[in-house]
Amino acid sequence: MDNLIATGLIGISLGSQYALLALGFTLIFGILGVVNFAHGGFYVMGGYVAYYCSVVLGLPFPVAVLAATLATAALGWLFETLILERVIEDHQATLMVTMGFYLVMATAILLLFGPESPEFSFPITGVWRAGGAYVPYANMVVIGVCLAAIVIVYWLIYRSGIGRAMRAMAEDRAVASALGMRTRALFPFAFALATGLAGLTGALVTPILALAPHVGDPVLAFSFLTVILGGLGSVAGATVAAFIVGMVEAYAAVYLGGSKGALALFVLVLLILVVRPQGLLGREVRRA
Amino acid sequence: MSNQASITRLPQARRPALLGGYEWATLCLVGFAFAVPVLTRNPQILSQTNLILIAATAALGVYIMLRMDLMSFAVPAFMAIGGYTVAVLSLKLGVTDAILLGVAAFVMPALCAVPLGWLILRLKGVYFVLVTFVLTEIVQLLLFEAAPLTGGSNGLVGMPAVTLFGIELMDNSQVLLTTAGLAFAGFTITALFTRHFRYEFTAIEKNDVLAESLGLACWRYKALAFSVAAGVSGLAGFALVNMLLTAHPTSFAPMSSVSYITYTIVGGKGAILGTLAGAALLVTATDLFALKGELSPGLFGLLIIVVTLVARGGVIGLAAKAAGRMRRASPAAPARVAPIAAVQARGVKS
Amino acid sequence: MSASLTASAGALRADSISKAFGGLKVFYDVSFTLPPAGLLGVIGPNGAGKTTMINIMSGRLPLSSGQVLLGDTRIDGRPVYANADQGLVRSFQQTATFAGSSVEDNLIAALRFAKRDRSVLERLAPLLDRFGLIECWRRHAEVLPYGLQKMLGLTMALATQPKMLLLDEPAAGLEKSERANIDAYVGFAQREFGCGILLVEHDMDLIRRLCPQVIVLDGGRLIAAGPPGEVLNRKDVIDAYLGGTDEEDADAQHS
Repeated sequence: MDNLIATGLIGISLGSQYALLALGFTLIFGILGVVNFAHGGFYVMGGYVAYYCSVVLGLPFPVAVLAATLATAALGWLFETLILERVIEDHQATLMVTMGFYLVMATAILLLFGPESPEFSFPITGVWRAGGAYVPYANMVVIGVCLAAIVIVYWLIYRSGIGRAMRAMAEDRAVASALGMRTRALFPFAFALATGLAGLTGALVTPILALAPHVGDPVLAFSFLTVILGGLGSVAGATVAAFIVGMVEAYAAVYLGGSKGALALFVLVLLILVVRPQGLLGREVRRA
Repeated sequence: MSNQASITRLPQARRPALLGGYEWATLCLVGFAFAVPVLTRNPQILSQTNLILIAATAALGVYIMLRMDLMSFAVPAFMAIGGYTVAVLSLKLGVTDAILLGVAAFVMPALCAVPLGWLILRLKGVYFVLVTFVLTEIVQLLLFEAAPLTGGSNGLVGMPAVTLFGIELMDNSQVLLTTAGLAFAGFTITALFTRHFRYEFTAIEKNDVLAESLGLACWRYKALAFSVAAGVSGLAGFALVNMLLTAHPTSFAPMSSVSYITYTIVGGKGAILGTLAGAALLVTATDLFALKGELSPGLFGLLIIVVTLVARGGVIGLAAKAAGRMRRASPAAPARVAPIAAVQARGVKS
Repeated sequence: MSASLTASAGALRADSISKAFGGLKVFYDVSFTLPPAGLLGVIGPNGAGKTTMINIMSGRLPLSSGQVLLGDTRIDGRPVYANADQGLVRSFQQTATFAGSSVEDNLIAALRFAKRDRSVLERLAPLLDRFGLIECWRRHAEVLPYGLQKMLGLTMALATQPKMLLLDEPAAGLEKSERANIDAYVGFAQREFGCGILLVEHDMDLIRRLCPQVIVLDGGRLIAAGPPGEVLNRKDVIDAYLGGTDEEDADAQHS
């Protein structure tokens, strides 16, 4: 029973970090119509910026996390305005440049920091005991920050007109543009917000999980799983799906072992595609 | 108008060619690989040729799907299915005949792709990209998990040498012959397939809404192509397993799909020759600059961005453009539009 | 003259069709019948739902309620290609061709997709000649002038030998001098191929010239039906035209 609860908390912790990643991912898709293959790259970059600031420069951890968020958001902004914007109309090309950018990012990190995992651990140690359940304080901090960030993102989405634009774009991109929705002006902002979230997640999570140049690969795969499950471009869907993915992964890791959890998730995704291609909370998918 | 009808003549229909110029050139080049073991015994050249052929055959899976504007990350998944099929057949059932194994390496992935294609190709294009990516991850996990069949993290080792008409193909040059045979089969299938359905594929690439309105069931052709692409990838998987003498999950790492995409895009997705050229150039470059593993992804990424931003036709597109310019510059020869120019001229389609 | 194909073809019937996007109703309870080999004009101000109607009739958009029948077969919500197989083919308001392919290859593609042979092209030769498409037989579609691209798209639709053609503003964007081509096209389709035609159009002169019957849409409702001479003089129809301002959702070239 205690184990059950402890595992559930790990699931929530995983779910909240997946939610931050998937929110950004789905935001980029919903607004720009772009599948961001570089998402994992910003996650890794967030981790390394935080590592550099806190371990090498000796800054306090919260400052390092903030720096990571801002740095990834800034790079996202630059990438969007300088490269992505030039091919934004061609979805194949957007895929190519984000993928290429991911490779460049991963290689740059490798060149700068080397292939070894650096010594980077969460500054808060210790375990919170509730009855027989053990929860590391670090995970609780992660859950807290992630939930706060999710709330802020929701507020931003619905305050800044991003939400309205997303709903219109989901209905019909061309019509929304024709009707003068100034969605284009939102592109760099939305992209930077999303990459900043990925960087924030990386800064918070890599000291707990692992930091190495290639840890972005599985992040991308899990972002994909989450957004297919939740429905592409659906903000609420991504959030709900992220917690499902986190829970399944946590319980499968404890009770099934190995990588069976990921397999179970894939079967779930396949089933979803058969019975409800628009995802859990997504809108109707148009045949195309 | 009715009396006009009697005098109106349509231009003569051109007889459709079996294959185009690029296809013939590509098949000749791939066929030339059969001669390499005769010409040289240099192990370095033999193994480079082997690697290039395997990379190019694998990249054909990307090329076929890109003909319809679909980006596939599923190549390593189907390579793995083809490669492991061969390994299991030869280890557990004692099948060593290269032709039998080749057929199995094609058919098995192609069959696996049928239900998947049916499932995902009726959805929007982006779903296809995402699902192929996830699929490759899952096949990777399955290879580790299904240990009784796949050997798990040990992989499958100790395969007997393949035979052709009872003759063992064991040493370096003979392994290259097997690879060359598989690559030639893969390129021939791809060339004939994309040529035969060129109207359908072009229509789906350029304007699928219009194609459907004229009666084309687009998703069926996409699913068919997905299956053929899977089969060709399986051939590459066979060649890889045969070269390494082992079937191991790491040979089919999900991120290797990015390399195959890079070969196709950088070489030029407008013609089958581009896939071969891209594989040859980049495999050689990786080797020349000793960019083993660590730095080559960065180079690939940079090339992908550059090609996407400034040279959509890739290397082949640039070459065709340059050739066209030279032809126009020389007054004797009449200018002709290179067929590859069509890649640059693609319209915006959302 | 138009007897060859019409015997087997049934009428195209919209049976109180409605459509809503999300909560927004754009189309209310519209019914009409297009008899085999008939010609029915559809007019209405911008935003009246004319393109939406063609999208629904061709199968591209599912209905919210009601049904569309071709003969006795219910066809709404079926895939567009399946309806095209049944002989229900649409054209697009914008130019719609396969870029990078020659005029010839565009037409061959249409023939292939509809499973017709090249003899259909021979039958279309007078039309192709009149439009000036034969002179640019080997040129790429996307480099042709707008008017020619549009006529190519229309001819491709006709090359499938449809029983029913849904034409979405065929004259839109054409020069005044090119508009006679539409008359020729519609006449040819009816005479030589026995097509029934649903003609959505803004050009009132064209509608008056060609259509024995018209229906009028406004704000997603059918507000009038009858011969054009009579309908176009009705006060509510005139008011609808003066009042209409919204942009039509033009969606031919995006999916």
